[in-house]
Amino acid sequence: MNGHPTRPEDFDLYALGVLEGEEKAAIESHLPTCAACASKLAEARGRIALLAFSAPRVSPSPAVKERLMRRIHTPPESSSAQITSREPERDAGFFRRWWGAVLVPGGVALAIATIFLWTQNARLNRELAQQRETMQQQQKQLDEARHVAALMEAKDTVHVSLASQPGMPKGDVRVMYNAKMGMAMCDGWVEPAPANKSYQLWLVPMEGKPISAGVIASSTGPINPWTVKIPQGVAAKAFAVTLEPEGGMPQPTGPMVLVGPVT
Amino acid sequence: MSGHTGVDLRATDAALIQKIVQRDESALAALYDRYAALLSSVLNRILRDTQASEEILQDVFFQLWRNAAQFDPSRGSLPGWLAVIARNRAISRLRRQHPSEGEELLEATVIVPTNLENAVAQQQMLGRVKSALETLPTEQRAALELAYFEGLTHNEIASRTGDPLGTVKTRIRSAVESLKRNLLS
Repeated sequence: MNGHPTRPEDFDLYALGVLEGEEKAAIESHLPTCAACASKLAEARGRIALLAFSAPRVSPSPAVKERLMRRIHTPPESSSAQITSREPERDAGFFRRWWGAVLVPGGVALAIATIFLWTQNARLNRELAQQRETMQQQQKQLDEARHVAALMEAKDTVHVSLASQPGMPKGDVRVMYNAKMGMAMCDGWVEPAPANKSYQLWLVPMEGKPISAGVIASSTGPINPWTVKIPQGVAAKAFAVTLEPEGGMPQPTGPMVLVGPVT
Repeated sequence: MSGHTGVDLRATDAALIQKIVQRDESALAALYDRYAALLSSVLNRILRDTQASEEILQDVFFQLWRNAAQFDPSRGSLPGWLAVIARNRAISRLRRQHPSEGEELLEATVIVPTNLENAVAQQQMLGRVKSALETLPTEQRAALELAYFEGLTHNEIASRTGDPLGTVKTRIRSAVESLKRNLLS
């Protein structure tokens, strides 16, 4: 068969991988000859790929990213591992042959080995301490990732888009906020802040004074997605970004750059 | 508040891919931050094995690092492409097939109907997909999940569930029709 698939869903079924035998072969024989059908398959692949979003959210361990970034520096495997693994055999053979005649040098070798092992032990202890520190950092990152996942999954998380105010620097900042969890996540971008100034994000509560949700540290414009803890149970009326003296202020003093109401 | 990586986080996937081609590690890190959770979720759902999932997750991004030049952003969506590659590798692992059997997908074009380049857009898409699946009858949803997360064909699903082959085919066709309708609406 070399005709077009008869039903549009055939592309989705092919992308899903459920077709077999003649049904599968028919599409595969047709695709190389038909750009229109190849395009429909690309769209079907995209729709089916979206099913990935239905999987329960699982954030990877921070160690995966660290290993990835180390791996891209690792040169292709060489034969050095094999060479190294053969060395002890050669050394062992050497000592076996001369064992009877070199007792005294053997004692010296033992002393050298003792010193070597002592220094190795000290080095391993240092590495162990570093590993513990790394694990603690990774645990901290993992905890933060879990909090972010919980924030994103929670049904009562609200999404707020902050829009630029007239005459103010341009930006587009989005906030996800959950009052019950006392947590907000922010991402987006904003034009660079003037010298000696910082942008500061505020939660504007239904009652009371604004609560600082952090200073946007960079003066280069784009902001990294970040999370911030806010006192639990605070009902937000709006979120706003103001221009403040460098490092931020306890309460807003500068002009409002971006603002978004909680609807 | 986290610090900055030196990469413009507004940068599009296409711009970051271009930087990876130029061996910019921070661009790889930025794309990892953008899509690792999505891939990790689907890998864990397919394999139900954290270690195996993390191995494949790392492999997929390492492949992106090595083969970024092969990805043509004008022809498709990076998160779609990554999700297809990750799923394909996980299903191969599940079925104990050689990974190279899925390599032909490297050049596959995957067009996703929306931009998923920021966390909020991804969260919105998560809501849309879950809503679309919740509208499906239980049997249709179960058949679709056996196909997507376990990589089973029509015949294999019929064998697994004991349902007639024709019934399985109808359920899956109906499910993808509904999904298409709901995701495009």
